[in-house]
Amino acid sequence: MTSQLDPLKQIAFNQFVILKLPSNNWKIVELRKNGSISLGKFGAFQVNDVIGYPLGTTFEIYYDNTSDITENEDDSQNKNKNKNKNNKIPVGKVRIMEEKLSESSNNNLDEGEELKNDIPELTNINSSENNKHLINIGNKVQKLTMAEIENLKNKSVSGDEIIAKIIDSHESFHKKTIQSQEKYLKRKQQKFAKYFTVNYLSGSALLEYFLAKGDQQRVMDMSQESVGMLLNLANIRSNGTYLCVDETGGLLVYFLLERMFGGDTDSKLDGKVVVIHENEHPNLDLLKYSNYSEEFINDHVKTISILDYFEPPTVAEVNSTFTPFSKEEIKELKGNKRNAYFRRSKLYKSQLDVVKFATEVKYDALVVTSTLSLPSLIPRLAENVHGSRPIVCFSQFKETLLELSHTLYDDLKFLAPSIYETRCRPYQTIRGKLHPLMTMRGGGGYLLCCHRVIPAPEPEQLVATDNKDPDVKKQKTE
Amino acid sequence: MNSVFSEYKDFIQEGDLALAWISRNNIKAITIEKDGVFNTRYGSFLHSGMIGKPYGSQIAIRTKGNNKFAFIHILQPTPELWTLSLPHRTQIVYTPDSSYIMQRFNCGPNTRVIEAGTGSGSFSHAFARSSNHLFTFEFHEVRYEQALEEFQDHGLIGNDDAKSNEAFKNVTITHRDVCENGFTIKQTDKTSYKFAEGEDEVKINANVVFLDLPAPWNAIPNLDQVISKNEKVGVCCFSPCIEQVDKTIESLIGNGWTEIEMVEIQGKQYEARRQMERTLDDALIRLKDIKSRKLEGVERRKRLLEETMNDISHEEKTEDKDSKRPSVAKTRYNPFGKGQRIKEGDSNYSWLQVTKVESEIKSHTSYLTFAYKTISKERDVELVSKLIENSG
Repeated sequence: MTSQLDPLKQIAFNQFVILKLPSNNWKIVELRKNGSISLGKFGAFQVNDVIGYPLGTTFEIYYDNTSDITENEDDSQNKNKNKNKNNKIPVGKVRIMEEKLSESSNNNLDEGEELKNDIPELTNINSSENNKHLINIGNKVQKLTMAEIENLKNKSVSGDEIIAKIIDSHESFHKKTIQSQEKYLKRKQQKFAKYFTVNYLSGSALLEYFLAKGDQQRVMDMSQESVGMLLNLANIRSNGTYLCVDETGGLLVYFLLERMFGGDTDSKLDGKVVVIHENEHPNLDLLKYSNYSEEFINDHVKTISILDYFEPPTVAEVNSTFTPFSKEEIKELKGNKRNAYFRRSKLYKSQLDVVKFATEVKYDALVVTSTLSLPSLIPRLAENVHGSRPIVCFSQFKETLLELSHTLYDDLKFLAPSIYETRCRPYQTIRGKLHPLMTMRGGGGYLLCCHRVIPAPEPEQLVATDNKDPDVKKQKTE
Repeated sequence: MNSVFSEYKDFIQEGDLALAWISRNNIKAITIEKDGVFNTRYGSFLHSGMIGKPYGSQIAIRTKGNNKFAFIHILQPTPELWTLSLPHRTQIVYTPDSSYIMQRFNCGPNTRVIEAGTGSGSFSHAFARSSNHLFTFEFHEVRYEQALEEFQDHGLIGNDDAKSNEAFKNVTITHRDVCENGFTIKQTDKTSYKFAEGEDEVKINANVVFLDLPAPWNAIPNLDQVISKNEKVGVCCFSPCIEQVDKTIESLIGNGWTEIEMVEIQGKQYEARRQMERTLDDALIRLKDIKSRKLEGVERRKRLLEETMNDISHEEKTEDKDSKRPSVAKTRYNPFGKGQRIKEGDSNYSWLQVTKVESEIKSHTSYLTFAYKTISKERDVELVSKLIENSG
């Protein structure tokens, strides 16, 4: 590994990473060699400049002076932006951000509630004990005009400098309390600061990305804590074969793969995820962001439509469509014939896989995020789940799981279905100002978990005294 | 022996550690022995009746006394079921907390975990399932011995790398006061670690740290020596009191940890239940029924009164004593089964599906304080320039 970067620890080429911006928004980018990446108002940077640093590093974009800004030409990802020359974002240089500034950077802080102890701008400026002398006269306190600020931005002065100028020109800044000065500064930093953090694109980060975008529906309102609990309740390990229904475009599968293989495309672990899908083709779009090779995904993710799964062809039917050639025969194949042979061979193998995964395999867990009617779906999928293995179902709504729960209660193949709810409550984590966040996202979904069990066969009839109500034997001892 | 925790097993075999599920709140660990007997308040279950059956089998017996059937289920242990069955030596970390911590740290086969203290080993099992290696530290000698024995029994102790695709024997336990003496493991230490020849000190290189200690701030300064140098490392401190959180944050900041955030996890469990559907119309009909019977009674009493006033002899009086009471037939209309024992879900009634939250919830387990640190924020300039020069 010495001659290569480890994409699980370091920022490497051709890797998808997630960038955190000062506005607390996220951006997913691919790191192409010699490319550049534009962050809009937060600046632009060269990919080569960040390669090799540890994932999780925060970089500051800076501009030496306006004259040697290189134009953002290589940026293949922003071609349409280049149409408008005035909007072109100049590419700056990067340096690692000072520790003290990233120190209290925090995903979930209330806007403007962040404490910056060592910010030089604040220590030089007087502040007030209270707001007694603060009168709201609107924009008049700010002597810089919008045009002037735009001009500063166009001249690519660093974010800190712009903020310092704004504070200088703010007439009543010194009348604010230190807390409200901090809030003001934080707001301005979210607008003008030019820094970004390069993070590993984990399942949680991907989920966070969709939630921050307001795309809750796409991920079925899942929360990190719910999916984390799903993985543990389902006992997901590197060596299991799991049956999965995923209506989130592959996010659940992404979570499973991360837990099983840790993003390592060279992993020798042999676990598998068998994805049952509702349409002709599966939607596992989000796997494109993973760092697994196509080959790895083909080896570890099998996809079968519900029709093929529940009504699979027989081995005889599959065999009747194709006869594999011997090695010698294959060697003699040339050109188009050879291609055609391999195409048909591939299809043949995938059909045999369908038969195997639909009929032979006993699964080590069933995990489901689906809006199909669960009482009709789960008992049938659970047929091929091995005894003692968990079944975990995520749903946005408790009521759908309640209905499922009652269905499973009546079936002796399911042991003690329970509905779980787990919620994370983040705090503003500042010493002396600890409190839970004032507002946060509602929702997060629910889980149903039970174990697949094997009912005892009809117990042997004892002597004549046996006048038991037939219902009695259906009752569990609980 | 492979671990029942790391290998999916098909059949119950002699020598297996299995879990007997008696009820939701009663799960017992048993070791399957040829002549073993598992006793419950419902009856005795012979191990011989379990051996050879698939895991997940329901085991049925007839109880001696009333000849009723009794059942248990035999399950293969998982960390989550184990947590529920645990004899509580100390406070334990439950699944809502542990699963969140593991997810937030993106635990997987590349994760190298430090855990202190081991306690009942509840979280240890979950970490062991999903990481490359777990280094767990326990300062209490008796608990250390107990946990060591348990991990050995469970087939977790060992140096094997999870990547080798062999049994996941990936747990090291060390007897240590990590606040006083840090986390480094040397040959002279009381540890389960098997040193290779010439190996003097364990390369822990942890990228995840979980501290469940009364004073984590005393352990935090010791972490720099054992955490991975060239990647982002996460720490989570698990403390029940907010004052502990405050001191923890102080220590984290002082030792260069960033992105500090404290959260709480609230877990709840619901049971699916039924509530009888009781309609207004039925209630009205019932009242009308009562009213009509009342009227009947009034009329009857009136009649009886008239009879006594008019023409009743002494003999007749004693004879008809009972019939003179204004007794009426019992409730004729009983739509809600009042006065009877109705089982929830009785098919003679209609029912609404409802969820019922568990009667006692864990309203607070602990505060979870997360922070991150990257010791070396450098890059290999030569390597990177070589990569840039290479065509492609």
